[in-house]
Amino acid sequence: MFKGVWSTLVGLLIEDGQLAIGALVALAITWLLAAEGGDQTQQVVGWALLAMVLVLVVANLYRAGLVARARLSSARR
Amino acid sequence: MDPLTLAIAATPSFIASAVEFVEATTIVLAVGVTRGWRAPLLGTAAATVTLAVIIGTLGVAIVTVVPEHLLKGVVGTLLLLFGLRWLRKAILRFAGIVAIHDEELIYLRELAELREQGLRKNEFDWVGFLVAYKAVLLEGTEVAFIVIAFGAAGGAALSSAVAGAIVAGILVIALGVALQKPLTMVPENWLKFGVGAMLCSFGVFWFAESLGMQWPGDALSIPLIVVTFLAASWLAVRMLKTLLPEGAQIEARNV
Repeated sequence: MFKGVWSTLVGLLIEDGQLAIGALVALAITWLLAAEGGDQTQQVVGWALLAMVLVLVVANLYRAGLVARARLSSARR
Repeated sequence: MDPLTLAIAATPSFIASAVEFVEATTIVLAVGVTRGWRAPLLGTAAATVTLAVIIGTLGVAIVTVVPEHLLKGVVGTLLLLFGLRWLRKAILRFAGIVAIHDEELIYLRELAELREQGLRKNEFDWVGFLVAYKAVLLEGTEVAFIVIAFGAAGGAALSSAVAGAIVAGILVIALGVALQKPLTMVPENWLKFGVGAMLCSFGVFWFAESLGMQWPGDALSIPLIVVTFLAASWLAVRMLKTLLPEGAQIEARNV
C-alpha cells in the first residue's frame, strides 16, 4: 500500500508537479483573501479559487501542448 | 432520505469508485484466467480484510478527532489535487497527445507476464495471490479515499458515498464475472474526465466552505461548478487539437 501511496505522491508532485504547485499557490491565495479580506471578500473566495484553477488548467495544458509539439518535431528531424 | 435523493447524492462516489473497481477487476480476472481462481480470490479476500481494518481504524479516528472545517479544508485540497491530475490526463488523452488508457491492452500484458512466470502443480500460487492482493488493496485504498472525501460532511453524505461505492463494486464485479473479459466497454476516459471535473468541483466547494464562504443555494452550486470545469476542459481539448491536429501519442510524464 505504501508503494501505491508513494507512486501517487510522486505522480502528483513530479509528473504533474507544476499543476500541483500552481493549485497549492491558488489555495494559499484563496486562504489569504479569506483571512485578510472582510466579510464580503469571504463570500466570493470560492469563485476566485475557481477562476484561478481554470486559468491554471488551461495554461498548463497549453504549455503541455507546446512541449508535445516540440518533442514531435525534434523526433521527426 | 428518499431513494431519489440518495441516488443523486451517491452518483459522484458511484462513478469514481467504478473506475477503480474496473482496474482491480481487470487484474484479478487476468490472474484467474491464466493461473486458476483459488489464489486470486484468496488474495482479493485478504486485501478486503486489510482494507476494512485500515478504514475501521483510520476512518473513525479522522472523523472523531479532526474538526469539521479543518477536515473539509484538507479533503478539499486533496480532492482538487487528485481531480486536476485526472482531468489533465483525460484532456491530454482526448486531444490525442497521450495514448488512451486501454484496459484490453493492460489485460493482455498482464496475461503475458503471468504466463511467463509459470506455475507448478500442487503448489500454492503465491504470485497469483500477491498480484490480486496488491491490485485490490491499491484500488480499494483509492475507493476508500473517494468515499471519505465525498462523505466528509458525515451523516447522509457518508451513507450516500458508501452506497455509491458498494453499488459500483457489485455492478463492476458482476459484469466482470459475467463476461470474464476486461471491461473494455466502460468508456474509461469519459469516466475519468467526468470524475476529474467532479473531484475538482467538490475540492473548490469544500475548500471555500472551510474558509467560511456560503455558496449561493449551498450544494446547488456544485453542478454549476462542474459544468464550468467541463466547459473549460472542452475548450482545452479544442485548443490542444488546434496546436497538434495529428496528435502525438507520447508518455504522460513527458508533457
